[in-house]
Amino acid sequence: MRNVERLCLAHFWVAFAAFLAAALLGTWQMWVRSPLGADIGTPGQYFMSVTAHGVSMAYVLTTFFIMGFGYFVAVTALGRPLPGKLWAWIAFWMALVGVVMTVVPIAMGQASVLYTFYPPLTASPWFYIGLVLVVAGSWIWCVLMLVAMREWKRENPGRPVPLAMFGTVANAVMWLWTTVGVAAELLFQVIPASLGLVQTVDAGLARTLFSWTLHAIVYFWLIPAYIAFYTIVPRAAGGRLYSDTMGRLTFILFLLYSLPVGMHHLLMDPEHGNGWKFIQVLLTAFVSAPTLLTIFTITASLEIAGRLRGGRGLFGWIAALPWERPAVLATGLAFVMLGFGGFGGLINMAYGMNAMVHNTSWITAHFHLIFGGSVVIMYFAIAYEIWPRLTGREHASLAPLRLQLWLWFIGMMVMTLPWHWLGLQGQWRRVANFNYADPIIAGWGPLVIVSFVGGLVLLASALLFVRNLAVLHGSPLPALHRPMYALAVDPPRRVPAALNGFGLWNVLVLVLMLLAYGYPIAQFVITPSPTAIVHRTY
Amino acid sequence: MADASAPEPRVLDQPWRIWASVAVLGIVLSGVVLGILIIPVVQGRGDGIDAYTAICRALGILPGSPARQQVPDRTPPTPVSQVVWTPAVLQILADAKPERGLAKAQEVCVACHGEQGVSATPEYPNLAGQSGAAIYKQLNDYRTGSRTHQLMTDVAKALDEATLADIAAYYAAQPKRNPNPATLADSPPAIVRLVELGDPSRNIPPCAACHRPGSGGPIETPILAEQGKEYIVAQLKMYATGERRNDVYGRMRTIAAKLTPAEIDGLATYYRAGFR
Repeated sequence: MRNVERLCLAHFWVAFAAFLAAALLGTWQMWVRSPLGADIGTPGQYFMSVTAHGVSMAYVLTTFFIMGFGYFVAVTALGRPLPGKLWAWIAFWMALVGVVMTVVPIAMGQASVLYTFYPPLTASPWFYIGLVLVVAGSWIWCVLMLVAMREWKRENPGRPVPLAMFGTVANAVMWLWTTVGVAAELLFQVIPASLGLVQTVDAGLARTLFSWTLHAIVYFWLIPAYIAFYTIVPRAAGGRLYSDTMGRLTFILFLLYSLPVGMHHLLMDPEHGNGWKFIQVLLTAFVSAPTLLTIFTITASLEIAGRLRGGRGLFGWIAALPWERPAVLATGLAFVMLGFGGFGGLINMAYGMNAMVHNTSWITAHFHLIFGGSVVIMYFAIAYEIWPRLTGREHASLAPLRLQLWLWFIGMMVMTLPWHWLGLQGQWRRVANFNYADPIIAGWGPLVIVSFVGGLVLLASALLFVRNLAVLHGSPLPALHRPMYALAVDPPRRVPAALNGFGLWNVLVLVLMLLAYGYPIAQFVITPSPTAIVHRTY
Repeated sequence: MADASAPEPRVLDQPWRIWASVAVLGIVLSGVVLGILIIPVVQGRGDGIDAYTAICRALGILPGSPARQQVPDRTPPTPVSQVVWTPAVLQILADAKPERGLAKAQEVCVACHGEQGVSATPEYPNLAGQSGAAIYKQLNDYRTGSRTHQLMTDVAKALDEATLADIAAYYAAQPKRNPNPATLADSPPAIVRLVELGDPSRNIPPCAACHRPGSGGPIETPILAEQGKEYIVAQLKMYATGERRNDVYGRMRTIAAKLTPAEIDGLATYYRAGFR
């Protein structure tokens, strides 16, 4: 570590403070939607809370965590100081000011628009300008990651970039591509509408631009979990990474196929021809390739670890794995949630089935399981793994860490599985309350209560997580020195430039984006559609 | 040894460039062939749609379900209001000038509605801090006869659209005051519940869903706060009987008809105060 501990800790603590606040709000929301809380709160308060919950979890937790983790990887994986550390601090403060600018109008009830940018519903300009600052801060982070990799390559000509850094830079490159859509939507449509400069807005164009960002942003959140799968977990399990090349291919495939696929969020929208939807759904199907590659490679890596620890037979290696270590346990639990969430995702991307589940709780349950479940549990694992390096202290006991991970897993399953089922029953999403006096809705009541119990378990886990990290700051045990990243079974000595940089892939992303989004966006200019009256909520 | 035997990266790169491009473009091409040619043509054949139309529909160039001419009803519906929120009308509102509005207001409005928008008696609505779009819509409805009043109809007919917008902007810019300091805490819980949550069992939506600044109602929804009790009671009763009918889709007529006299009285009392 070369003096980035404070930088990383500052990012992580902002991320986890937002996480804790959002967990509290989320539990409250589960309560007021259940029959137990039918008389609590007003719809106005509910939508304010949902907005704060979504913004905190999806934008603050993720962006700050990913930036902090990126700085950590750049220093530890490359073994050199972070270039432009002052810029990193500027980016941090910029993003933090942005968060405050966003949260204040939400708290004042002037931005109850949820965390999606779907005009004509428009929030206070401060809300959007604040979020633009958060994104601008993350752009500085992207540039710093690219510079760090470039400088390392210059010092180490011909050598393969360490996989953790390769994945981090892949994420930074993807994020730069990803944010173009939402940045265009905000700067040219939403912020002018919010400031009152225009009175109408093309909602179809705005939704299309947002869809550009909408799916790739999920992979932006997800890639740190995958970096942990490939580079941290095999070492934590006492084994080796089965294939370094698979890791590189995975990150490249995420870069390629996370972007030209966002239209599968618009399957029920009328503004696009079905042909374009088909092409993007086909490309969406290819996003499963890096996930399947990863499941195969990580399972193989864990098998190596299990057999090295004396596991025998077809499945004996599973029992031989060191499940008492948080990183290994979190990976196992994340895979289970990824399995359920992945199957749900296949249903969402199928046009006919999407038509049935689109406006139901199924969707809410799906993204809680896949992001809140598999991804966030790996954020916990990463935090547990690197906190000793940041603080110089060791966890006194791993038991509370394991308890926290189990609680998160149990809470997430108990919350989201009934929630999926309610969606299939037709329970609609994005509503503040249900009239349980209605005989059909009354039948949902028991499952909503089960879901709420899951939410309570999640809240307990969130509190325990923050407690576990806070306690470590005062732990008397000095940190043990151990390697951070796993070695590959066959460590790469030389890799083709295509697997060591992003030049080729950027060209292909450009081609894919032109093919997949070129006409769907151009059509709004060729034949302008009727525009919608801007609806200001402030 | 491994380093020496490793091929030069440049040699390795060329096949990567070629095969990666072939794979990516091949996937997109198969998407085009399947999604824009084969599936639309085959599915269209079953529905009697020719291949050209089917392909154009898949591209989004032709509409998916062509609009059919509606058979005209013998009694064509009359819109309850002539106000259409086109970009041009919205621009008139955005360009309105409160200073010009003040001059006109002093001429024709202040006798009843007050210079600051606080009315002389509770039968006349307070206009201070009211939504500009709401004032404009009502004035325009008086002008076109969608809403009638012994005084207002003639007043509005004498003004042009831009002047209506100026007057609306003037009163919208006046600060809310609390001429009737009734506190919300005095309201009975049943009334507060009606305002905040509505009554789902009677299909009554919450008043606050539309009538609070920043809530989700249509643009012309008036802000209900600091309003004369008698005015609100009178309007709700006129909606309930259908005497007043310039509410688009009959929203307020539907709701008001379901309210009991006690609820009408309670809501009007509630809305004498400011909003929370």
